Amino acid sequence: MKLLRANKDHCIFQLGQREKPLLLETIKLYPLVPAAHHRLSKAGHGPNAEDNQRLLEAALAEQREENHKQVLAMLNDAQRFRETNSGFELTLTPAQIEWLLQVLNDVRVGSWLALGEPEPDEEPEVTEPDVKYHIALQVCGMFQSALLAALGVKESPEWAGD
Amino acid sequence: MADTEVLPDIERKEKTGSKFELEPGWLVICWNDPINLMTYVTHVFQTVFGWNRQRAEVHMLEVHRQGKSVLARTTMEKAEHFVHELQKYTLHATMERES
Repeated sequence: MKLLRANKDHCIFQLGQREKPLLLETIKLYPLVPAAHHRLSKAGHGPNAEDNQRLLEAALAEQREENHKQVLAMLNDAQRFRETNSGFELTLTPAQIEWLLQVLNDVRVGSWLALGEPEPDEEPEVTEPDVKYHIALQVCGMFQSALLAALGVKESPEWAGD
Repeated sequence: MADTEVLPDIERKEKTGSKFELEPGWLVICWNDPINLMTYVTHVFQTVFGWNRQRAEVHMLEVHRQGKSVLARTTMEKAEHFVHELQKYTLHATMERES
């Protein structure tokens, strides 16, 4: 997936023949992070800590529902991907890039949680039921990097070794 | 002409929040999840806080190298807002009372 052209209203990405089904199959996994994963506070401060936690969960559930609608819209919108000689062109507005980044990171973090939160340099054993999480983890990272590069966010040479 | 003068009622302003909610003293903290891309975390900080790239990278590297970074010191209400925004992007963020 690479950026073809962009203006203030939208970005047009080129996807290879196999990248389109890979993207669609991956976002079908959304949402993957368990609802109880997010905590408002580690210490549970405040007079209404439990109420505030419930409010946070409700707000996040609403956000996930909205993102899920966008996912379904993308999956069911044949016009979203324009077929070309070498694959497909995907047009996204800045707002759509933001929700797609949120969706992909949910799937990436959810896959990592499902795999037992392995360290980056750890190579966990790949088992049949976990294959989809291993693939999703890599695929999400690839698409996220492409989207972030389109927004001008790239790795700095100063981060080498981190 | 009336013998007595009627004074207007004294209106009491309703407080919009308790002292606990309004006073600064809440920290918004982002904790390290090693799975998040460094570029992604930088982008989220820029988006949520409106920071420039340099400031966002300083906090991202602090999260990455030291395990956490204090992103804001603010009121309870604003801290809740920031935590929600960060969690929308699946970052590990919490709000803690400043000790």
